[in-house]
Amino acid sequence: MKKTVLLLGLLLGAWTSAQSQVSYERLVGAAREPQNWLTYSGRYSGWRYSSLDQINTGSASHLAMLWAFQVADLGQFETTPIVVDGVLYGTGQNDRAFALDARTGRAIWRYQRNLPEKLQPCCGMVNRGFAVLGDRLFMATLDAHVIALDTKTGNVVWDVMAADYHQAYTFTVAPLVVKNEVIVGVSGGEYGIRGFVDAYSTATGRRLWRFETVAGPGQPGHETWAGDSWKTGGAPAWITGSYDPELNLIFWPTGNPSPSNYGDDRHGDNLYSNCMLALDADTGRLKWYFQFTPHDLYDYDATQIPVLIDADWDGQSRKLLIQANRNGFLYVLDRTDGKFLSAKRFGRLTWAKEIGPDGKPIVNKDAVPNATGTEVCPGALGLTNWFSPSYNPDTRLLYVATSTECDIFTSAPQPYRAGHDFLGSVYVPDPIRRPSGALKALDPFTGIEKWEFKYFSSPNGGALSTAGGVVFAGESDGNFIALDARTGRDLWHVQLGAAIYSTAITYQLDGQQFVVIPAGSTLFAFAIFQQ
Amino acid sequence: MALPVKGLEKLVSNPVAGNSAAIKEGASLFRANCSPCHGLNARGGGRGPDLTANRWVHGSSDTDIFRTITHGLPGTEMPANGFEDSETWAIIAYLRSFAPPKRHAASGDREKGEKIFSESGCSRCHMVKGRGGLLGPDLSRVGASRPVSYLIESIREPDKELSTGMLDPNNHYGLPLVYDTVTVVTAGGQRITGVAKNEDTFSIQLLDTDQHLKFFLKKDLKEVIRERKSLMPAYSEEMVSPEELQDLVAYLESLRGD
Repeated sequence: MKKTVLLLGLLLGAWTSAQSQVSYERLVGAAREPQNWLTYSGRYSGWRYSSLDQINTGSASHLAMLWAFQVADLGQFETTPIVVDGVLYGTGQNDRAFALDARTGRAIWRYQRNLPEKLQPCCGMVNRGFAVLGDRLFMATLDAHVIALDTKTGNVVWDVMAADYHQAYTFTVAPLVVKNEVIVGVSGGEYGIRGFVDAYSTATGRRLWRFETVAGPGQPGHETWAGDSWKTGGAPAWITGSYDPELNLIFWPTGNPSPSNYGDDRHGDNLYSNCMLALDADTGRLKWYFQFTPHDLYDYDATQIPVLIDADWDGQSRKLLIQANRNGFLYVLDRTDGKFLSAKRFGRLTWAKEIGPDGKPIVNKDAVPNATGTEVCPGALGLTNWFSPSYNPDTRLLYVATSTECDIFTSAPQPYRAGHDFLGSVYVPDPIRRPSGALKALDPFTGIEKWEFKYFSSPNGGALSTAGGVVFAGESDGNFIALDARTGRDLWHVQLGAAIYSTAITYQLDGQQFVVIPAGSTLFAFAIFQQ
Repeated sequence: MALPVKGLEKLVSNPVAGNSAAIKEGASLFRANCSPCHGLNARGGGRGPDLTANRWVHGSSDTDIFRTITHGLPGTEMPANGFEDSETWAIIAYLRSFAPPKRHAASGDREKGEKIFSESGCSRCHMVKGRGGLLGPDLSRVGASRPVSYLIESIREPDKELSTGMLDPNNHYGLPLVYDTVTVVTAGGQRITGVAKNEDTFSIQLLDTDQHLKFFLKKDLKEVIRERKSLMPAYSEEMVSPEELQDLVAYLESLRGD
């Protein structure tokens, strides 16, 4: 029945009914319904690409605002909305959420979670969005619960506690739905938590499996933690993973070991911090892992979107996983077994000389933080960070927002206190060189830079690319920009009055392509101006 | 103005004063939370004063400092903070752990210094108590926030330690460096120098050396030249004698915002 509905929808080209449900099959086939935006990255492969082309290199200069929606709250607005058949679902600061008429921006319902007073997210009271299945939306909350809301009313269907927020466990991630599971990863790497990736039943909220990202006693990898350091080892998992239905593997990246900038009490590689995990979607069992920055001293979370591309590699067709990592290297792995294929630097870095043939960094010993301060590139916020890259199969380029920031890291022991920050000292930006940024177009296979568009400041927003040959990007000084995907030429831009902390999405309604971006506390929708 | 602080209705002293573990914890908390403005070692940063100078403008008792940290200082850039009481005491223990600095008391004549300030052109660029120019920093409270050695250096070698314009991680609206010297070159070749009041990828807003606001789109400019130097001239001994310098510093040191 659902398949018939799906086929009918494809024939019509656009869904006009706002009533249909989102099946798992539709999530797998999300690329076939570009009129919607069904997952965080638009499709399981993590591409953040759309085959819509009404907004293109010729028409983009006629973009105009169609509507704006005010969340009416302060703080960073990091959501990636989900769009299903004419309804847009988003989350906001302080765990607000909303459903809008995607044509007009008029609200259908609003939700706000009743949060406890003492919450400790490291980096703002943020949430990055919903996942959807059937008539339910799934959200991971700042007080470390996972909840399901009814798509039509915003009413809570179920609510389960995943961890104790008093110990600084929080969620900021947009969940990923795979089959009948809602998958989330925890935040709290600045507080000495013990990280995990969890799967919950979409029907009941019952926990189906947990993968502990800090290897405990009896787990392989436990020997990579000195003494009891594993108990406060961090390794959060706060960005949405990707999924390969054929391999039935979830690719979920993890973050820094705790304390971030002091490693003397946690000698060893500190598995599974800063890793790409390949987890069996049904059981959560580890199929393989790859660690990008072993024994990290710089807060180089590997929490960047894994981009899944099938391509020829050395004359052989391979299933690749590509990640532009916060540590400054662009990695290519074979995603069937995690084999390391290459790593190329995509900007200035000093912490490592290169990545060896075994995939391990050859570190620069002069760059180890000490008590008086050591300058290291990239800085703690990375050459890139959590904001999404985009892979465009037409240009075969990967678009990555980058920063030039280098930081002065200091390092000192710090006693652990539950629920308190656990950093091992601090970093400050290099006071002499003001950090700036750029959107870079990289060949994802060779790392060669095709073009860059320079930003005045370091970005906190990523990239969306389309079959119209356009890359949409938002920067920290409030500009939302449409660039020519082949050349990096500025086609159009608009000043939105507040820093952009997210990445655009696109959808189509009644033959009109929309592009939506959050800035400040407002969600803005643009389309080609029509009289 | 006495603000009530929970548990601090009357004068109390630091329960962990001199405790080495508390000093260590305070240092760690300070670096993580206060150093972006006050500098890594509390010696002052782009926005916050030197806290090692034993110069507490808003009250020097433990109770006063506790109140300042907890509630912030309305009307200044010092925000309220959500530390637990024990953490605030640890920070105070850390700040008290610095040896009192050698005093370079300004030996000059304050009134003569004020005259030099207005006659040597300082007030053309610097505001004091609502009078003066707009190009340089307002100096109405400079005596409260900067030690004498810094004042001398700023006059003799203004390029030596520029305001770093430390990025504020909480500033989502991206106001940039305030005293960066920028020269723009227009399509017609005209050069305009000033300080950048704001700038982004596509535009720049200057206060030029004539103290006029000038706005430009970067696409209309040939070049934007940024110089890591102050617009303030270096006042050599020929321009301001050692004696005059002492007078000037005595005047600046007296400026406490009151």
